[in-house]
Amino acid sequence: MSSSPVPQASGDREPLPRLLRLRAGVARGWPYAPAAIPIVLTLVVVLTLVDASHLQNFGWSFFSFNTGAYGIGVFVLGSFLTSVPALALAMAIGLGVAISSTTYLPRWLSGWLDPFVDLLAGIPSIIYGLWGWLILAPFLASNVYAWSTVHLAWIPGLEPITSAPASPAANGAGLASGIVILTLMILPITTLLMRDALQSVPRDLWESGLALGATRWEVSRRVAIPYAKRGILGAAFLGFGRAIGETVAVAMVIGQAAVVPTNAYAHTTTMASYIISTFQTALEPGVVGRTTLHFLAELGLVLLAITLLVNLAGRWMIRRTFANVAGL
Amino acid sequence: MSPSEPLISVPAIDDLRRDRSGHLVGRTVLDRSAKWLLPLLYLVAIGPILSLVYWISVRAVPTLSWHVLTTNPSGEAGGLYAPLMGSLAIILLATAVAVAFGFLGGLATAEYLSDRAAETVRVSANVFAGTPAIILGLFGYFALVEYLGWGPSLAAASVTLGIFMTPYVFRATDLAYASIPRHIREAAVGSGARPVQYLLRIATPIAFPQVLTGIFLAMAIGVGETAPLVLTTNQYSLPPTGLFSKAGALPLDIWGAYQNPLPGIVTAAFQSAFLLLVIVVGLNVIVRVVAVRSRRRLEGLYR
Repeated sequence: MSSSPVPQASGDREPLPRLLRLRAGVARGWPYAPAAIPIVLTLVVVLTLVDASHLQNFGWSFFSFNTGAYGIGVFVLGSFLTSVPALALAMAIGLGVAISSTTYLPRWLSGWLDPFVDLLAGIPSIIYGLWGWLILAPFLASNVYAWSTVHLAWIPGLEPITSAPASPAANGAGLASGIVILTLMILPITTLLMRDALQSVPRDLWESGLALGATRWEVSRRVAIPYAKRGILGAAFLGFGRAIGETVAVAMVIGQAAVVPTNAYAHTTTMASYIISTFQTALEPGVVGRTTLHFLAELGLVLLAITLLVNLAGRWMIRRTFANVAGL
Repeated sequence: MSPSEPLISVPAIDDLRRDRSGHLVGRTVLDRSAKWLLPLLYLVAIGPILSLVYWISVRAVPTLSWHVLTTNPSGEAGGLYAPLMGSLAIILLATAVAVAFGFLGGLATAEYLSDRAAETVRVSANVFAGTPAIILGLFGYFALVEYLGWGPSLAAASVTLGIFMTPYVFRATDLAYASIPRHIREAAVGSGARPVQYLLRIATPIAFPQVLTGIFLAMAIGVGETAPLVLTTNQYSLPPTGLFSKAGALPLDIWGAYQNPLPGIVTAAFQSAFLLLVIVVGLNVIVRVVAVRSRRRLEGLYR
């Protein structure tokens, strides 16, 4: 079989023979040392948070929804309620964009459009936040939510709120706006990764499919997507890691209320946005002393644990995709 | 990679798309609909950025002037001099930190580690890159501001941001040195170059543009990061005077406007956002230009 183009992933090259590996002439050991930097930094961050939390024992109520007794339930629920729907939307839209980029659009057009999508990944989240807070959320409130509370009220969760807090700054703020802004923010990264995964499908497979008389849609659906599924799954994991850690943009559109949302428009909060918006008040010495600060550190640890696991899984998936290609 | 046009067009295959009476068959209809409907999703992806750029420009540009850029903020009348200088100082120092950690780490990983060890380090760097910025902010507060006693300061903010940016520089450096074609290394070792000579005279000139791209990319990511700064420094109406003085920053202005939405402060926030957008897009364009040029230059090496 003819050799297919192998992407330049770091794991794919065959190992260098010993002669070609650099061995420093100065001293045997030192050039290896800086390679430990990423591992050391990760450990230092984890240990700092463990130390800062004082391993404060909040008892079993830590895992409850009782915010008054330092329960993390509300925040974890809020994080998942925003991240999971946002991920589902971003994956669906991203897959569509990735398929049109690799399959349907002429090269010159996708060559112009794709860099735009990539550029979107680099827009700072604070800018998304400002735009979401003052432009997108009010727009959604007066156009989309005004319509959906009337016409989609039969769907559980979309009925109108009866007791909405009427602050002008909170116009349109709530769970739904949080999901929308999060979708837009992780869309570029999921699109980019899925496009990469679909582009790694060997040309041979494409040509065989087309030669058998399959339409381009059928080759995408039955050949390209199954082939790239690990990469697509990896995109989901990495997108989820992004979504759950996203801080300021979500904080600015979600309404900041540490309560379980009663419906899709209700104010709520997430782990990351709760940390940033309560931090200054937690610093002020009060009746509870530094307890809130310890609690925020523990909340941070929970968030860190989730993102580390999700990212490890995602990286592993992506690595396996490239291993598949190399083995073909 | 994948063909956008069918590579072969034989009458027999075209015939399969129509039934006896000449109507398109169902699967062809599906294919055609996908062809015309799926690209519409680009609107969902690109539409928001157009709205974002439009609104931020509309709200910022008419009020932006040289005067605004060169006066310090006072009360509700927002000048941008202090946050601009603060952002500049923070990003330069943070880049220095990120380059010190990331470049050395990436170089050691690409050139000195065995493949198995390098893989472990790469995985940990990638996982570290996925750590939310807010977590780094907590680290910066507890380790630098409190434990080392730096207080909310330029130093604390820069080091925190630098650590956040490290994995991006690391990845670019590692990839740049590790992807130097093998025959170049063989030629260098074969003609008796010592490791240091190989690194300085041969590998570095080849890898440098790619490393530079990574550094600019890290700067573009770092300059807009807000969460680490909120926890390690404060909004401040004067430019930073020393490492341990307070330092404001453009993103902090925007976050401050959310906390305290007075009309003048919100206007200043839109101006800050506009400046940030210009800086970020500018850095991304530089990255693209450098990347394209170096790729062209490198193509010669692979022949």
